Amino acid sequence: MKRRTLLQWAGALAAVVPFDRFRVFAQPRDLTPEAVATLRDVARTVLPTELGATGVDALVDKLVAWTRGYKEGVATAHGYGHPRLQKTGPSPIPMYIAQLAALADEARAKGAAWSMLDPEARRAILDAAFTKAGVRGLPPRPTGQHVVADLMALYFRSSEANDDCYKAMINREVCRPIAITTRRPEPKGAA
Amino acid sequence: MAVHESDICIIGGGITSAMLAERLCELRPGVSIIVVEAGRSIFDVANRGRYRERAIAYNEHPWPDDYIEDQQGKGTISMTMAVGGLALHWGGACNRFSEEDLRLKSMYGLAVDWPIEWAELERYYCEAERRLNVSGEPSPHPEDRRTQPYPQAPIPLSYNLQILKKWAEQSGLPFSPLPMARNLSPFGGRGSCCVYDTCGEVCPSGARYSPDFTFRQLIQPKKIVLHDRTLVRRLAVHDTRSTIVAAHGVHQDRPNDPIEYRAKTFVVASGYCWSSHLLLLSSTPRFPNGVANSSGLVGRYMNGHRFINATANIDDQTFPGQNMTHSLISRQFFRCAADKPFVRHDTRVWESSAGRDPRLRGAEGRLLLGDELMADWRSRTKGSSVRLRAYVDVHPSVDSRLTLDASNKNRYGDPMPKIEHRFDDATLARQAATKAHVLGVFATMAKASNGRIVNTGEGDYLDHPGGGCRMGTDPKTSVVDSYGRTHDHENLFVVGAPTTPTGGCTNGTLTFVALTLRSAERIARA
Repeated sequence: MKRRTLLQWAGALAAVVPFDRFRVFAQPRDLTPEAVATLRDVARTVLPTELGATGVDALVDKLVAWTRGYKEGVATAHGYGHPRLQKTGPSPIPMYIAQLAALADEARAKGAAWSMLDPEARRAILDAAFTKAGVRGLPPRPTGQHVVADLMALYFRSSEANDDCYKAMINREVCRPIAITTRRPEPKGAA
Repeated sequence: MAVHESDICIIGGGITSAMLAERLCELRPGVSIIVVEAGRSIFDVANRGRYRERAIAYNEHPWPDDYIEDQQGKGTISMTMAVGGLALHWGGACNRFSEEDLRLKSMYGLAVDWPIEWAELERYYCEAERRLNVSGEPSPHPEDRRTQPYPQAPIPLSYNLQILKKWAEQSGLPFSPLPMARNLSPFGGRGSCCVYDTCGEVCPSGARYSPDFTFRQLIQPKKIVLHDRTLVRRLAVHDTRSTIVAAHGVHQDRPNDPIEYRAKTFVVASGYCWSSHLLLLSSTPRFPNGVANSSGLVGRYMNGHRFINATANIDDQTFPGQNMTHSLISRQFFRCAADKPFVRHDTRVWESSAGRDPRLRGAEGRLLLGDELMADWRSRTKGSSVRLRAYVDVHPSVDSRLTLDASNKNRYGDPMPKIEHRFDDATLARQAATKAHVLGVFATMAKASNGRIVNTGEGDYLDHPGGGCRMGTDPKTSVVDSYGRTHDHENLFVVGAPTTPTGGCTNGTLTFVALTLRSAERIARA
C-alpha cells in the first residue's frame, strides 16, 4: 500500500469513527510536566517547611507514583457491620491535571505565579478549590477528590507524619519486633 | 451430573470447617472428607504484604474477590464468602464465655440454659486455644479458672497499653491483655507477629490465625478434598427415611451442570447466616419448612451482642500507633449477682487517636496549611484519647429471624437470606438500665488521670452473630442437640455459631470453635 493511500484511508476512518465514544484512549496516563510543576509549587504551601525542599519534592514524586499505581474498578474495603460493595472510580489523573491548571490560572488571575502570591491569597484559592471539589476534611488517604488535599493526606496521614508530630519513633503500621512497642518510643532524631 | 462420594461432606469453608476437618482427620485417619465452599480459595500468602500496601494506599479490599456479588443477604455483617470465611479478616480475639452464659435460665430465669456443662466446654476451650495458638494471660477472677495454661504468653503490652492499664485499674476493675490467636513465635506454618497492626484486615506474616493455612495443610497431603467455588443449594432427604442422602450444588463455572455430593454424614458449617439459609432452602413437599425444621425454629433466635462505645480524654501521655489492634479486657461484669438487676458485659480499652488526628480546618473553620496544620495537630496531642467498648449480653426472641427474601435472589433463582434481630421482653425491659450501668462504668474509669468521657455511642447491629439452629435437649424447642446433630436427621450436623442459643457478652469465635471441636468427636463416631 502506498503511503498516500494509507493516509487517505486513515483520514476517511477519522471522519466516520465516533472517537468521542473512545475517550478512554485519549485520557492522559500520567500527570503532565506542567501539572507536576504546579503541584511542586503548591506543595511548598501545604506541607510543613520542616520537611525541607527535598522532603516536599519526594512527597510530590510519591503522589505521582500513587497516580501511576491507581487501578480502576477494584473492590474497595467492604466494611463490617453494614458491608457494601464499592469499586474504585476512574483514574484521577485527568481531574488532577484540570485542578492544577485551575490553580495556576487562579494565581495568574491574581497577577502572579503561585509562589509569588501572599499566603492568604493562596489559602483563599485553595479554600475555594476544596469547596468546589467537595473536600470537607483531610481525606484518610488520597481519594481522587482534589489533588492538593490528596497530597496533604499522603503526608499527614502517614506514619512518618505521626512520628513528626509526636517527635517520636512510633512507627505506626511499620513491621517491627513486638518488643519495641513495649517501650516508650525513642525521640525522633535521637542517635 | 457429577457425583462425588465421601464419608463426610462438610458444607462451608470457614474457621469451624477448618477446625472440624483437622480434628476429624486426627480422630479417623483415612476418613474421606470433602469440604464444599461457595467462595474461592485465596491461598497466596506471599501476596498478602502487597495486598496490605494497596489497602492502605488505595483502600482496596485486601482479599481480592472474596465475595460473590449476587450471594449476599440483608442484615449480614460481612460480604466475605471464601475459603477461610470471616476468619480471613477477623481480629483474632479469643475470649472465653463464662459459665453464666450456659446457665442463664437456672441462674437468672432468663433465656435458656445451654445443654452443656461448663467443665466439659472448658476442656474444648483449651483445645481450641491450643490449635489457634492463643496468646493470653489467665483471668484474675477465680471463676475463670483454667485446666490448662494458655499455649503462649500474653501479647506484650505496648507502652501505651501499660499506661492505660494503670489508668483503667484505678476504677477498681482488673484488666488483662486481650487473648488473641496471634503467634509470638512461628507456629503451625505461620510466622510471628511483627505488628503490622492490620490484624482485622490482613496479616502478612500469618501470625494472626486464618483458616486458609489449615486448609492448605490438609489438602496438600490429601487428607481432605476441597471443592471451592461450589455452592450447595439443597440438601436431599431419603425418600422414606429421615437421613440426608445428598447435597446438590453447582460450580460457578458450570452453572448448568449440577453436582451431587453423597456422604454418610453431612455437616453444615456455613456460619450464622448460610447454615439456616441452606436448611430453609431445602424444603420439599415432605419437608415444607425445610430440613431439620420440625420445630419450626430454623432461622429463629438469631443472636449476637449489642455494643456501647465511648471515648475518654485523659492527661496521661500515650503515643498513638504503637499497637492499635491489641487491647485490654476486664471480665468484672461477666458475672451478676442473682439478686441484683441483670447486666453482663465485657469492658475493653484501646489506645486511640480520636480527636487528635490531623485536620484540615481549625476550630473556627479556617483552612489549615503546612506549618499551621502541623502546629494545630501538635497542640492537640497532649494527653491521650482512650477508646472504650462494652459488648452487652442481650437475648433473642423467637422472632429474631433469618427468613428467605423472595425479593432478593441469586443467579440461580434462590431467595437470599434476610436477618432481622429482635430481643426478648426481658432484654427490652432492662435496656435503659443496662446502658446507664455501662456508661456509669465508663464514667468511673474516666475519673482517673483527670479524665472525662467526650462521646458515647451504640452499635446499630449485633456483633459476633450466631443462632438460627439453636441447640437443646427438646426437639420441640431446639434444632440440634449439644453436639450439633439435628433432631430430625441422624446423619446431619450443624456446627459452630448457628447452634448457640444466646450470644454471650464477648467475642464469640473461640466458643464457636470449642463447640465444633466437641461436635467433632461425635461426628467422627457417626
